[in-house]
Amino acid sequence: MSATSAVTAANPRPRGRPSRYGIAIAVAAIVLVVLVASAILDYVYLDTIPGRTSLYGLVAVALVALGTFIGVRALDRDPADRKRHFIRASVLLGLAALLWLLVIDVYVFTGSAGPWVAAICAAVCLPTTAFGLFVMRRLDRNEKEPWRLVLVAAAWGAIVATSMVIWAESLWGTIAERTLVPGPGLDASNAFSAGLLEELAKGAAVLLLFLVMRNEFDDVVDGIVYGAAVGLGFNFLESIAYMTNLYAIFSPEGVGGVAAGFQWYSRQVLGLFFGHATYTALIGAGIGIARQLPNRRQKVIAIASGFLIAIAAHFSWDAWLAFFPIESSALGLAEIHLRTLIMTGPFTAAVIALLMSGLQFEGKALAEQFRKEAAEGAGAILPSEVPILTSPWQRLTQRMHALSKGGLRAYLALARLQTAQLDLAMERWHRERQEIDMPLEAERELRQRVIELRRSVTF
Amino acid sequence: MRAAPYDPVRTLYRALLVFDVVAIVILAAGLAEFVYFEPPGQSTGLKATIVGIYQYDPATKTTSGPDRRTFARTQQFAAVVDWSSLPQNITVDARWYDTFGAVVGKVGPGSPVQLTDQTTIPVVHAGLKYNLPGQYIFVVDRLENGIPVEVLARRIVLVERS
Repeated sequence: MSATSAVTAANPRPRGRPSRYGIAIAVAAIVLVVLVASAILDYVYLDTIPGRTSLYGLVAVALVALGTFIGVRALDRDPADRKRHFIRASVLLGLAALLWLLVIDVYVFTGSAGPWVAAICAAVCLPTTAFGLFVMRRLDRNEKEPWRLVLVAAAWGAIVATSMVIWAESLWGTIAERTLVPGPGLDASNAFSAGLLEELAKGAAVLLLFLVMRNEFDDVVDGIVYGAAVGLGFNFLESIAYMTNLYAIFSPEGVGGVAAGFQWYSRQVLGLFFGHATYTALIGAGIGIARQLPNRRQKVIAIASGFLIAIAAHFSWDAWLAFFPIESSALGLAEIHLRTLIMTGPFTAAVIALLMSGLQFEGKALAEQFRKEAAEGAGAILPSEVPILTSPWQRLTQRMHALSKGGLRAYLALARLQTAQLDLAMERWHRERQEIDMPLEAERELRQRVIELRRSVTF
Repeated sequence: MRAAPYDPVRTLYRALLVFDVVAIVILAAGLAEFVYFEPPGQSTGLKATIVGIYQYDPATKTTSGPDRRTFARTQQFAAVVDWSSLPQNITVDARWYDTFGAVVGKVGPGSPVQLTDQTTIPVVHAGLKYNLPGQYIFVVDRLENGIPVEVLARRIVLVERS
């Protein structure tokens, strides 16, 4: 057996198709079939506005699926072809997002609120959501996730997950309203509906990322980042929906703008990290922990646990919100913040605790791998680079130094080198922990890439 | 015998299991809440009669026009209930819920005979010029220990946005 074939690699991508791809295809197929069948049934039997929306939204969902497929396949292409495929994927995802917004706005809200109100709502939600995504990605300080995957996760949360839950929640709500006693029992039922259906719809995106993009899904930290990205995407579209809806409801009373503005504040400022971002981050944490567990039973339990905690967190907010009434006085402002802090704060604290532990664990493991790689003397990581690579702050300082000496080009070249070195250390870590499900491209290929990148660092 | 090396992933896994316990407690509390307000085995087979939902004049406190399922937001409306179809040994009330689930009109609780002079139940939105658009649910409930446990009659009407 040659030395190359004995070496297994998690990064770069595998040449073959691991068995988990089969699970991913099955999950995607189930999502698609459920989406199509239910949208049609919803449209035929309920004939409500959400029914029509879910049916017409299928076009957007198809575009997202195609865009994601092309985007993921692009990673297998030669670098020369890759850019072209990414552009195609981006265009399709962009079209899907626009189409979905159009569907939402035209069929649901603009009849009353008008397209300009919808456009303004989208415009004010965009910077806050972008800020949320920026912060979440930055928190992954050891090895930042690629923007393309973070944005794909957010797009799935915004378009696919919302599309999936509209039909299901409409159906659940219609049945509940016609069978249950209105009041706390019905509220609890609706809360179960939101917790269960919305978290399953959002979590499916994180699960697919875990199954398909394993080499970019390293541990609990990555799971939290991707989960939060899906949640932020979902929150983006839900915010627009609530803002336009409440504007339409209250504008004849002369307080439409106030109602929409309050929704924006509570969902895009106060609840930006507390609501959906926290819930789906919990799912991501479960999947991320499963990524590094040794046996299948524990993996399944970890993934199920993430979903369970997210569903419970979401349920508790929706079901027990009414137990914290808000006074219509200045005190009410303080109460709104306290309510969010008390009801969702513990779950957000749990996510932060898992994130901090994950970052610490990941950081120590990478530092150890940097040292081992440097000790081997292959030239990919030099002993003098170990303390720099170990510290995110020192890496940034070194890049800023490159920027001042050699300009943007030098900065980017060094950034690429550091990223490749981190990839190599991550690869070594996973190999050492036996977390690689099949032999991949040789680790020396990654090492060679680092050495080549080093030549382009000029300062 | 060497101890297994410490693996932080196992600590994270255990933390997840602890959070799991909290999640199960929350969901169990939710289920208990649901069962408390929606107790099983409460179906008596009784049916109340909702005569109809009509346009309502708050000045004269009278209804007019045909039984309807949709209203404009500027139109006041009320449900008319025939309490005589119910036995006298039960406690009932009638309520309107707006699109946000808030009670926006109510009579009772009391026995059907106590409510015979309150057959018209209007929707009243305090502090608003118009009705909020959306789905309104009108129910006649049977109560046990002050809690509605069974819906004896139900009507859903839509208040249009325009």
